[in-house]
Parts: sequence; C-alpha cells; structure tokens
Amino acid sequence: MAALLTAAGSDYSPGMVVAIEPTADEESAWIRRAQAADTRAFERLYRLHVDRVFGLCLRMTGNRSEAEDCTQEAFIQAWNQLGRFRGDSAFGTWLHRIAVNAVLGRLRRSQREQDRIRAAHEIAPAAAAVADTGELRDLAEAVDRLPAGARHVFVLNGIYGYSHEEASDMLGIAVGTSKAQLHRARRLLAQQLGQEGYER
Amino acid sequence: MSTDFDDKVMADAARLARDIAPERDLWPGIEAALTRPADAARHAGDPRPGRAPWYAQAAAAVLLVAGSSLMTYVVVDREPVTVQQPAPAGLVLESASFGGQYELSGGYKLARTNVQAQMEHELRKLSPEARAEVEDNLAVIRGAIDEINAALAQEPNNVLLQDLLFKAYREELAVMRKVGGLTQDIMLRNDI
Repeated sequence: MAALLTAAGSDYSPGMVVAIEPTADEESAWIRRAQAADTRAFERLYRLHVDRVFGLCLRMTGNRSEAEDCTQEAFIQAWNQLGRFRGDSAFGTWLHRIAVNAVLGRLRRSQREQDRIRAAHEIAPAAAAVADTGELRDLAEAVDRLPAGARHVFVLNGIYGYSHEEASDMLGIAVGTSKAQLHRARRLLAQQLGQEGYER
Repeated sequence: MSTDFDDKVMADAARLARDIAPERDLWPGIEAALTRPADAARHAGDPRPGRAPWYAQAAAAVLLVAGSSLMTYVVVDREPVTVQQPAPAGLVLESASFGGQYELSGGYKLARTNVQAQMEHELRKLSPEARAEVEDNLAVIRGAIDEINAALAQEPNNVLLQDLLFKAYREELAVMRKVGGLTQDIMLRNDI
C-alpha cells in the first residue's frame, strides 16, 4: 500500500483513501521533492498531516471556519519556508509550530478579528467537540470555552502532549507562564465539569 | 479540586481526538496559493526567509513618512474606504468591487490612484530585490482582493466579506504608502 503512495507523482486523487502511513524514508523523500518545488509531493505531505494540523487549529480556535483558514495558511507558510526545514525535528512538529503561529497571528491581527471569531463561535459553539464522543465531548466543550491563553496551553500540553518548554516556545511565552496557564485551565475545567456532573 | 479529578481530566484530555478531518478539501485553495507567482518565487528562492528582508521592512517603516500628508489626511483620517450603494441612474461610477453591487467611493479611488503613482515613482529608486519584494507583497494583497470580490459576487450582502475587503484595501494602501516613505527616508539619510 505504501508503494501505491509513492509509485508516481500524479497517482493521487483527492478521493483516494490513504490507509497506511508512509515510512519515514518515504516522507523524507516527499519533503526533498517538495523542497525542489514539486507540488505533488507537497500534496502528499498535506494529505498525511492535514487532519492533525486541522485538529490543532480547531482545538486552538474553537471555530471550524477559522481552523480551515489557519490550516490553509499554515500549509502555505510551510511551503514558503520548506527550504529552511532541516529535519532537526519531526516534520509534523515543524508543521505544528507553523500552525500555532498561524493561529496566533490571526488572533493578534486585530481586536475586530477576535470579536468576529468570538461572534462566529457563539453561533456555532463547541466545534471541536464534534470529533469526540461520550463524556469526552463534555471535556472538549469545556476546553472550547476556556479563555484563549489557558486553552492554547491546555491544547498543546494536555491534548497534543507537548512539554511546557515546547508549548511555551511555540506560543512565545515563558515556561512559567505556560505552567500558570495550564494550572488555570485545569482549575477552570474542574469548575465547569464539576457543575456539569462530569464523572469523577 | 481533587487530585483524582484533576488527573482524570488530564488523562481524558490525552484521549481527545488529535486528528480531525476538515469538512472540505482544503488542498485546492492551498494549491492555488502555491502556484501564485509571488509564492512560487518565494519557494524557488529558498532558503529565503518568509519575512521581508531588512530593506523591505525598513522601507515599510520609513515610507510611512513619505510624501503623503495629503494622502494620509484624505485616505486614512478623513476618508476611509467606504461602501456605497449602486449609483442612481445617470451617474457613471467606475466598476471596482463588491461584485458590482457596491462601488468604492470616488475619493478613495482618487487617493488610491495618487498613492499608487507615488509608490511607483519611489519603487524605481529601490534595488531590484526590494522592488520585487514589495511587488510580491502587493500581489498577495491584490490576489486576496480579487478572491474576496469573487466571493462577494456570490454573496454581495455578506457583511464579513465586505469587512474583509475593507481590510484588504486598507492593507494595500498601507503598503503603498509605506513604500513611498522608505525611499524618501533613505534619501534623507544619504543627504546627511
């Protein structure tokens, strides 16, 4: 199956189901080809990583439309910066860093933009929770309602497993701030979920 | 807060879905952006950094001083981009944007034309690299304007799209104004 993915530059169609992840060598080959301006190879990288990048953007923004925009922006930025990727970290981690920057950049752009996102969030709340089931949905919705700073740290640390050092580096904050925000997030989640009868 | 409860929250958080598929295929939009001349050139120039080089950034900062006290007054302070309803019969307004249902104000278009002329004059003083960088940046913004206009053609009353278009025009104007200021500032320093 993996051979199917690498057989030819144009053997992929959007409807194709990619069932097996490529090997590290295959991914490295796609990266090298993409660095040489092969958009087909970059599309393969996109297909491989889009769900996780979109998930991260969705968890961080809490808004599906914003997450789509951030995801697109992240991959475009990745393409532009691909020449600087040296493999010091996993490609996925590198992409996540760019995606976090895309999210933060959009949020910083203007207060009006933030107001717009908030308004959209109110219209379609808890977008991230649709991917979860059972009691996890309650948790996902509670995470969605966290203030931005606490939510960003919780998403990176609690959901995606990044260390405080990694999360603080991605978010451009001090490690101590990251820890404080996580503590705040946990306290707020406990309050929210306690009120909602989350199973203890 | 109980430690057990806290631990459970963190354990459950690690079980939340990390991979979430977008509802639509985002690749076509990405691919379109990659093949735009500005992005293609940026990629071809690897490992060129994504941010503008120092001279372009300096240009952006300095050009602000550039000769547009009038433009600043007219465009920024007194006459932000405005959206008008279609002109009454007998009046001919230049077709510009908002899917043909709305027009940019005449004052804004005049100011934009003037700033554009000034910027092009100043651009000639920049190095080819800096000029290309500025033109790339403008191409990106204008590409966005075209895309938003196309969307507005489908949804002319979409307030969010109108807001985006407004911002895009302001960004374009800001870049053009900044470019003018950069070279003038450089000239002043050379004089010294």
